[in-house]
Amino acid sequence: MEPKFNIGTAGWSYKDWVPNFYPKNQSAGFDWLQFYAHYFNCVEVNSTYYSYISPKVVDGWIRKVENTSDFVFHIKLHQDFTHKRKYDEQNIKAVRYNLEQLKKSERLGGLLIQFPYSYSFDGNSVQYIQKLRNIFSDVSCFVEVRHQSWNNNRALDFFKENDLTFCTIDQPQIGRAIEFNPVVTNDKAYIRFHGRNAEAWRKSLANFGKPQTYEEQSSRYNYLYSPGELVEIEQKIKSIQHKVKEVNVIMNNHPQGDAVANAFELIHLLEGKRKVDMPQTIVKAYQRLEEIQ
Amino acid sequence: MRTIFHLDLDAFFVSVERILDPKLNDKPVIVGGDPKYGRGVVAACSYEARTFGLHSAMPIRTAYKLCPHGIYLHGHGDEYTRFSQVVKNILEQYAPLIEQASIDEFYLDMSGTQKMYGSMFGFATRLQKEIWDKVGLPISIGIGSNKTVAKIGSDCMKPKGITYIIPGMEKEFLAPMPVETIPGVGKVMKQSLNNRGIYVIADITKLPSDYFGTAFGKYGIDLWHKANGEGTEYLTIQRTRKSISRETTFDNDVTSEEELRNTLFYLTGKVAQSLRKKGWEASTIDIKLRYTDFQTLTRSKTIKPTDDDKIIFETAWDLMKKARTRRVGVRLIGVGVTNFSVLSEQEYLFEDYEVKRKKMLRAVTKVRDKFGYESLIFGRTQEDKKLKGMENYFQIR
Repeated sequence: MEPKFNIGTAGWSYKDWVPNFYPKNQSAGFDWLQFYAHYFNCVEVNSTYYSYISPKVVDGWIRKVENTSDFVFHIKLHQDFTHKRKYDEQNIKAVRYNLEQLKKSERLGGLLIQFPYSYSFDGNSVQYIQKLRNIFSDVSCFVEVRHQSWNNNRALDFFKENDLTFCTIDQPQIGRAIEFNPVVTNDKAYIRFHGRNAEAWRKSLANFGKPQTYEEQSSRYNYLYSPGELVEIEQKIKSIQHKVKEVNVIMNNHPQGDAVANAFELIHLLEGKRKVDMPQTIVKAYQRLEEIQ
Repeated sequence: MRTIFHLDLDAFFVSVERILDPKLNDKPVIVGGDPKYGRGVVAACSYEARTFGLHSAMPIRTAYKLCPHGIYLHGHGDEYTRFSQVVKNILEQYAPLIEQASIDEFYLDMSGTQKMYGSMFGFATRLQKEIWDKVGLPISIGIGSNKTVAKIGSDCMKPKGITYIIPGMEKEFLAPMPVETIPGVGKVMKQSLNNRGIYVIADITKLPSDYFGTAFGKYGIDLWHKANGEGTEYLTIQRTRKSISRETTFDNDVTSEEELRNTLFYLTGKVAQSLRKKGWEASTIDIKLRYTDFQTLTRSKTIKPTDDDKIIFETAWDLMKKARTRRVGVRLIGVGVTNFSVLSEQEYLFEDYEVKRKKMLRAVTKVRDKFGYESLIFGRTQEDKKLKGMENYFQIR
């Protein structure tokens, strides 16, 4: 049986998606999330990583996606839990409240728990993840670990035993980056695409910690996947899709709307080459989309 | 008699360019260089460009004179490599053996797969459709009893053609074709043959091989054999998988022969299961033995191709016993199989016991595939239950 595909982008609020996705002339009532949810059935929320979002804001999101019946939000866990690893009961409550609110209205996809690159596989890390699993035991957890030490059977068994989804990432092949290869550890797959802009990625690593403009920060994600790369990606995802009930694909190559264009192309490829409903703005900006609309 | 497929992606570079930019459809497209600078040669050209007399390897300057309104592109090398790999991945799902002859050409040895895939022509049609539907690339396929005939076949009805040369009819099939149809016969050789009054392949076969030996040496003899429908039957093999193996490191070093035997039996079961799932047989059995002081030994033996746990185990255990000459603890053991071939039912037609056992093993494979490996364990010993927890330590080489 075909799994359910949730294909979307990491965030929806990017000024530089105007006019390539969001139209230039917007009426007073025009809402970006509402527009986004007309075309996609999921989004990854990254603002929750930087701050504890007010429940009112979450309530607003739920209302705005009302017309897309199966739309879900994947919530990125706050950095206090993953990078600083210092949190208290209040922090837990703040996260849990929003998760429960989304869950009650059937809008929660899962919780993305992204650790820094330096987070390696050892007894302490395993225990720590287990602790988080216990705190968020009633939601789907997608765990992103990027250190190569996790690339072994014992680590994968740990994920399987704790019903955690091993988050697969695609990023430029520099240094000891793991090659894109979807891994299955439970009944869901979560795949994130960061683009393959090796040069900007290297530059960004060199400037890590220094103050940067939005453009400088974003430049490492500035990448449009080519048709050949997409068909390779399609083949790899299809090789694991029979093992899961749900495949989540998140495009994070956001500058200028590349993520949106590639997300539409992956919907076409992964969902039986179906014609895709797209706004004319994106077709105009990315002419190769004409073939799939 | 072998069944060799030759798959040739039609105007491959141009086909990929058309995926990248669909506006190039139905237009004369030439990949290879910039005519403004007059350098380079045509790497590929569309069928529309060929109607103007263009062909691969033609200087780009000449091409431009013949077809000035053509669309000239430098090409996207990385994309060609990706699409070629994507096609190869599809082929690997079906073909036991693959030889990639170039970026856009593959030989498949499909011998013995008729039982699995039915008529070879029908299978080729499905394969061609799958590559078109999934990747959007047109492909032509030639099916023959050797590589030369299959290659000539794939070139017969391009684009999107399938040509099946009936075994035994190779010579008749080739007879009316011009001599330059034979792979390796270029302009110079063609001229040389034409000067001798040889225009079609039948003209070659009417003469004795010695004639060509005298005129062109070893190449001439080879040409004569090709003209007679003979050619290499075996691929320059890049096996889709080099070996299937399992090994385990013991928690505590082992001295008990019984424990080694039980572990080897369990590992063999896993290997044989993987082998049967692929529909393959293996003819080389390897074992690996590592003593407590890390001295590591490997041994192998070649036998009649098999996918049977019992035969693999008996061979592996025999190798293990012979290899284990020291009275010290064993740290690791492993078993593997290599040298794959496709399961050939024909060989067992008159051997009732083997046929029954094969059917039983196939049923076991299906049950395990559906309900997990542990759902059916061969009843050698209850010790297998103890081994369940060892899964974590198995590695696939």
